[in-house]
Amino acid sequence: MQVLGPILDRIEADAPGALGGRRSAAAAYVREHGLPQLSDEAWKYTSLAALRDIAYRPATSSDAQSVSAEDFAAFARGVETPYRAVLVNGHFRADLSTLGRLPAGCTVRSLAAVLASAPDAQAIAGLIPEAKSVPAFTALNTALLADGLVIELAAGAQLDQPLHIVAIAGSATPLLLTARIIVRAGAGAHARIVEEYLGTAADNSLTNVVTDLLLERDAVIHHHRLQNEPDTTAHIGRVSAHLGAGSELYTDSVVFGGALTRVDIEVSLAERGARARLNGLFAATGSQHIDHHTVIDHLVGDTHSEELYRGILDGRSRGVFNGKIIVRSKAQRITARQANNNLLLSRQAEIDTKPEFEIYADDVSCAHGATVGELDQAALFYLRSRGIAETEARALLTYAFAEQVVDSIPLQSLRRAIEERFLGKRAMSELTESLIQPCSQ
Amino acid sequence: MLEIKDLHAEVGGTEILRGLDLVVRPGETHAIMGPNGSGKSTLAHVLAGRDGYSVTAGSVDFNGKSLLDLSPEERAGEGVFLAFQYPIEIPGVNNVYMLKAALNGIRTYRGEKELSAAEFLKLVKARVKAVGLDETLLSRPVNEGFSGGEKKRNEVFQMSVLEPRLAVLDETDSGLDIDALKAVAAGVNALRDSERCFIVVTHYQRLLEHIVPDYVHVLSKGRIVKSGGKELAFELEARGYDWLTGEAA
Repeated sequence: MQVLGPILDRIEADAPGALGGRRSAAAAYVREHGLPQLSDEAWKYTSLAALRDIAYRPATSSDAQSVSAEDFAAFARGVETPYRAVLVNGHFRADLSTLGRLPAGCTVRSLAAVLASAPDAQAIAGLIPEAKSVPAFTALNTALLADGLVIELAAGAQLDQPLHIVAIAGSATPLLLTARIIVRAGAGAHARIVEEYLGTAADNSLTNVVTDLLLERDAVIHHHRLQNEPDTTAHIGRVSAHLGAGSELYTDSVVFGGALTRVDIEVSLAERGARARLNGLFAATGSQHIDHHTVIDHLVGDTHSEELYRGILDGRSRGVFNGKIIVRSKAQRITARQANNNLLLSRQAEIDTKPEFEIYADDVSCAHGATVGELDQAALFYLRSRGIAETEARALLTYAFAEQVVDSIPLQSLRRAIEERFLGKRAMSELTESLIQPCSQ
Repeated sequence: MLEIKDLHAEVGGTEILRGLDLVVRPGETHAIMGPNGSGKSTLAHVLAGRDGYSVTAGSVDFNGKSLLDLSPEERAGEGVFLAFQYPIEIPGVNNVYMLKAALNGIRTYRGEKELSAAEFLKLVKARVKAVGLDETLLSRPVNEGFSGGEKKRNEVFQMSVLEPRLAVLDETDSGLDIDALKAVAAGVNALRDSERCFIVVTHYQRLLEHIVPDYVHVLSKGRIVKSGGKELAFELEARGYDWLTGEAA
């Protein structure tokens, strides 16, 4: 990006705050190595050329005020959980958040607040890896890092209701939005965390957000990530998870929005008994481009992973799924299953899907499958013969294809967002609920 | 009500229907019988408008409209219903949602107001009892994991909610035990009235003991080779099809 040079120059010269040293080092690293190009294997199908000439300006804390409480009410419509943390243009908005009644052992603070207190800042700085060991956009995230969220669950803590993080991109001019979400789950802690990315109409910002999930022994984290920005934004997301012994991570990535979206999910199964399930759903229309790269690293034995990604591509859109699974030589008796199914709704749409297995152990059970198909004609005829118009029948079957990935999501608001994406306002869950109740009498 | 004239249809380039004529008047139930490959299921699918069944000659008039010019959903709007021989499983779409979309699709086609969720659920609950379908199947995905009998019952249940003017039952008896057969037949018989007509496609006579037809037609090589009253079905049961298909050859 043309604008990046001067931005990095300034950070390198003077990055204030507790992370100053790490930030300027990251800025220098990004300047030296640049952002990814098509010649990089991991970016073979995703070009950043469209972003090159956009005059992005790094968001500052004053950009957090661009969404009013009234505007937020429209966004918050679907948010039903009592625990809500709101980021506007990458900066925490205490006035829109509701975090006052978190259970014992659970804290959610803004990263800016944490960095403002010296001992806490030290601890957090220690969690931010050096630029050379992370992808370029994560290094850029470090260079520009000012705010985000720090979520800490003490050993045994139970978050009784989901924590809903609402991140809104809202600006009249293109912003470069940076935020980091750090989740530290102590031994045996349980939590469900939703990250929902939204934007005001026609927002054309670039969001570059990193989520770090650290699970200690026997922690269980359910993590749902929904990218539902308008289709004018660019969005680079990375989820990096480290799983301790016996811990479990269930993480979904759902992407509907953005002109250009790249999400990287990297899970290290670092200790025995760690278990991860990665689900993903992406649906693109028009000229949207959605790229998922996942890496599941089985570092030790008796670790298990399961992965299901589904893509729905319409119009001239393009989808990319690259699922890498690494089984280290010490990692015996592991299981790894991966599936990627794609639905092409138009002849101009394209999907590039690639499973990548690197297996260095011998006592393992690994399986993968990738499919690309169209809507089932027999099912389409069945629905139409019942009187359902072709467009609606297609929508219903498309929803059905998507639904299987997300049927485990218990959150009404997320399910509603997914239903609305495919079925419009005719929510299926609502009808089903109203049916079950009277029928059970 | 339904008038089929000299109907010719191909599937995959092979002519299956070769000049079929049939008239069904309001309130009548016609059985179409015949050996495998005679074109029974093709007739059912052509009436419902399935892709890949191309009509090369002839006409199908339904209440004064040319059915062949309409899409499957428009035919449903006109009151045509096909009970499938092999009902399709649709994971991810629950039964009741599909049915609401179907009923509202038909009502919209007819220029009627859509039913509210409450009105719809009231109707559904009344009909599900009448057909004896397990209520828990309503919120399950369409036909997914249903037994053979449940699938056929579900077809009849859908029919009872959508209240077609012409119902085509394609081998609805296949794969049913006697209890399921009786239940399905009872569901169909409950819908019979002086206006609604039925075409019951079947290989065996046993369904016709429970859904007693007004007329029986024998299809062979894509044409009706013999027509008669319900007693023809008993004759076929006793003598098989050979004496007729031999005649046709």
